[in-house]
Amino acid sequence: MGRIRSILQGFKSLLHKTERNGEIDEELRAFVQSSVDDKMRRGMSHDQALRAARAEVGSMDTVKHKVWRAGWESKAELFWGDLIYTLRRLIHMPGSVLVVALSIGLGIAANATIFSLVSKFVLAPAPVGDPPTLTTIFRTYDNGSCCNALPMPVYRDLRSQAKSFSGVTAYDELVPASIGGGSEPERVWGQATTANYFDVAQLRMAAGRGFAANEEKAPVIVLGYTLWQHRFNGDQAIVNKTITLGGQIYTVVGVAPKGFRGIDLILDPQFWVPLGNLPQLTATAPDPESRRFQWVRAVARLKPGVTHAQAAAEMQVLGQRFATEHPETDKGDGFRLEPAGSLPPRDKTTLQLFLAALSVVVLLVLCIACANVANLLLAQAAARQREMAVRLALGATHAQLLWQMLLESVVLALCGGGLGVALSVWATYALSSFKLPVPIPMDLAVGVDFRVVVYTLGLSLAAGIICGLIPAWRASRPSMPNGLKGEEALARPGARWGLRNLLVVTQITLSLVLLCAAGLFLRSLQGAAKIDVGFRSRGVLIVAIDPPLHNYPPTRTRQLLNSVRQRILSLPGVIHATTTDGVPLSMGHRSDGFVAEGRPAPKEDSIIEMYMAGPEYFETLGIPLLSGRGFGTQDPAAPKVAVVNEELVRRLFQGENPIGQHILDGGVPYEIVGVAKNTKSRSIDEDQRPIMYRSIDQAIDKDPSIDGYQFMVRYEGDPAPLAEAIRKEIHAHDAGLAVFNTETMQEHVRDALFLPRLVGTLFSIFGSIGLLLASVGLYGVMSYAVSQRTKEIGIRMALGAEAKAVQRLFVRDGMWLVLISIALGLPMALLSARLATSMLYGVRPYDLATFSVVPLLLVLVTLLACWIPSRRASRVDPMVALRVD
Amino acid sequence: MPEKPTELVQGTLEMLVLKTLALEPMHGYGIALRMEQVSDGVFRVNPGSLLPALSRLERADYVKSEWAETENNRRAKYYRLTEKGRKALETEKAEWARQIAAIHRILEA
Repeated sequence: MGRIRSILQGFKSLLHKTERNGEIDEELRAFVQSSVDDKMRRGMSHDQALRAARAEVGSMDTVKHKVWRAGWESKAELFWGDLIYTLRRLIHMPGSVLVVALSIGLGIAANATIFSLVSKFVLAPAPVGDPPTLTTIFRTYDNGSCCNALPMPVYRDLRSQAKSFSGVTAYDELVPASIGGGSEPERVWGQATTANYFDVAQLRMAAGRGFAANEEKAPVIVLGYTLWQHRFNGDQAIVNKTITLGGQIYTVVGVAPKGFRGIDLILDPQFWVPLGNLPQLTATAPDPESRRFQWVRAVARLKPGVTHAQAAAEMQVLGQRFATEHPETDKGDGFRLEPAGSLPPRDKTTLQLFLAALSVVVLLVLCIACANVANLLLAQAAARQREMAVRLALGATHAQLLWQMLLESVVLALCGGGLGVALSVWATYALSSFKLPVPIPMDLAVGVDFRVVVYTLGLSLAAGIICGLIPAWRASRPSMPNGLKGEEALARPGARWGLRNLLVVTQITLSLVLLCAAGLFLRSLQGAAKIDVGFRSRGVLIVAIDPPLHNYPPTRTRQLLNSVRQRILSLPGVIHATTTDGVPLSMGHRSDGFVAEGRPAPKEDSIIEMYMAGPEYFETLGIPLLSGRGFGTQDPAAPKVAVVNEELVRRLFQGENPIGQHILDGGVPYEIVGVAKNTKSRSIDEDQRPIMYRSIDQAIDKDPSIDGYQFMVRYEGDPAPLAEAIRKEIHAHDAGLAVFNTETMQEHVRDALFLPRLVGTLFSIFGSIGLLLASVGLYGVMSYAVSQRTKEIGIRMALGAEAKAVQRLFVRDGMWLVLISIALGLPMALLSARLATSMLYGVRPYDLATFSVVPLLLVLVTLLACWIPSRRASRVDPMVALRVD
Repeated sequence: MPEKPTELVQGTLEMLVLKTLALEPMHGYGIALRMEQVSDGVFRVNPGSLLPALSRLERADYVKSEWAETENNRRAKYYRLTEKGRKALETEKAEWARQIAAIHRILEA
């Protein structure tokens, strides 16, 4: 209580300072008056009494000041005064402020941007109520290997037997569905959940409610916030209205809160329906009674008072019990608990290492920026030595001067921090435009949230103190006699290698390392882009539809695909057109184990990538057929045929001619009718995988696609009108079909270069910032040297030195610094290149081009940074220079 | 002239002010006068120390002040001990007694 009162009173007296002063004044006068009265009573004359009383009191102002200083507010006022003084000083040197704020701003922006990734993928809690007590349950296999989803019966056993949880929910993490209503149908992704999903997640719904316990199979739907906004214009009265989803009528019961994209990171589902609707939504709903098929994700809410460790212990016991009860399916399987909303456990370590590495890199960028600022402050400290000496002589303490200088650098750093946050808002926006080459919706958007702001603020404060400490320390201790005369008071005799040179060398060294990394990653991007994917990506357009979502039976799907393909072929500009169930380079498609009939199983792994292919598949993609033929329109009932790639021939047929031979997929035989050249299947940097293409006509009936079919069209001319024409053709067949994922193959391949592109871009930016900052630093040091040595230059010129010679003198000094930095930086760069080997495509870590071009570039840029100030040196007029002081 | 006044022992001023006010509310000069009289002129407090001390005590809620008429019909700021101040005085007195006893023991040892 007392403290709050004191603070309140302090503010009161700050606000009414004049009144407070008047009161002190009046009290003091009353004091003197009483003293005078008293003395007069004891027999002094009025004048004597007054003199005596005044002598006792001393200086009225001192007393007043002492009283004023008794409260905390006087310190606040002092601080305020210092702050105003600092700001007033800074306003008078806008150039330096700009350089410093920009330097720190760039450094901070880099940090804030990377930290926004850390914040989103590591720190942010799941977007649910009471996140700490929500836990994800994974299925482990082979005694602890991580991690799978759960079979439905295992989930049901968990739900009925586990005592640690107040609720366990299960969901199918991504279900595609075509949503009706509005102008055009649209395919959206959602989740099918058990009815208790929203109770376990404890969400505050934006409208309506979650599912009721008796709605396990009811046709009800909860809309995601963005879907509600963009498709239903945020209709407030949407609850209890009906919409069509996959051709069925669903009643909207609620809208999920803003920002809720399911419990998992990264995925971006747009609606939720009860799990019982899954068979109506997808033709390939997994069997809920099978204990083998692992497909539901489970999330549980801990009972109050139960810890994660206790729950994990119980899960271990349950895992063992299940393994004894169901040895044929559950043997070796267990459970693993992870906090809800954390990164997928399989990729967690890799991603965290990646983020940690990036964080280190941006801290280096900030270090370069800080060196710049420290350098500038050192120069200013030198310029202010006389002021400092005078203030010291007038009685200021070292601590007071130190404090004021520090305040200045902290204010500067905070300005920079503000600028940095503003820059990173833009940078995170740009970063969010990177897209993964997958057909499912992902939420990779990052932004500046409160964690980022707090972190940035702390970082700027630390940067301000670190940059300011040494300059402030030196400035507050000028050597007095020289300082008062206005001579060089900071120069320590014999210190030729000043602190400032050391800072510049550090800067150039660090930026060399960053630039080399940038160069390597750009070369790697170039290398990755040059990797032969095996097909021609230029001039191919991809358009997807998913007829099974619109309740098409297999026969009708097949007819639809064939007749739309025929219509597309007649469009202007179309050369070839084909159909498939998956685009290559989508980070993984269907695959299965195959054996060649009559041959021993291969020693190598025989997981074969499977693609459905329509007529003209190989012509459309430009994949050369080495022997045999491709597919035409095949008879679904005829024996199955397949085209395989060279790698499959190598692995399953030891390179012998496979035409006419059979391969078996779990007993189903395929006759090989053709051999195609190798293509990349999942990603650009993979080792060649074996691929088998099967006829789409023969595959749709028994083994339909789970995420739609694509038309792939080889065209000439402009893809945009063609895409529109294809969409019209599809709608001419069925206006209710949703058309999605329209893109050119080139765009798709560009997305497939996601990682090298991201890393290359980031490092180029960081490297350029580093180079820019280091050049500014070198420029500053050289300019300072020129201004310090004006007199010397004057003498040299007076003695006959030519302008060119003087200029050379300075350029040589600067270049020495650069050469030393390169000598220091190259080994460091080579070392870090080794560490990055696993992230490089088609380029070796000791890449000659990178390690020769980058130092050269550095020399050129720094040469410019030295040359400009050296020009000024060469223009010194000896007559003027020698008269200085 | 009485003997030369001594500086107060460090940190005792506030306790002495509280003790002085424990008898009755007083104004600043009254406090100084009373302390001088009671100590037989050993301690003479000047306003440069007394007024800041009073300001601190008031901030700590140990005393309250109000303007009132003096016996000579002048206005002065009168200070009055609060309940909290009375308690603080008791603790400080006890602490002081303990310290004095300890110092005494050391000196007599």
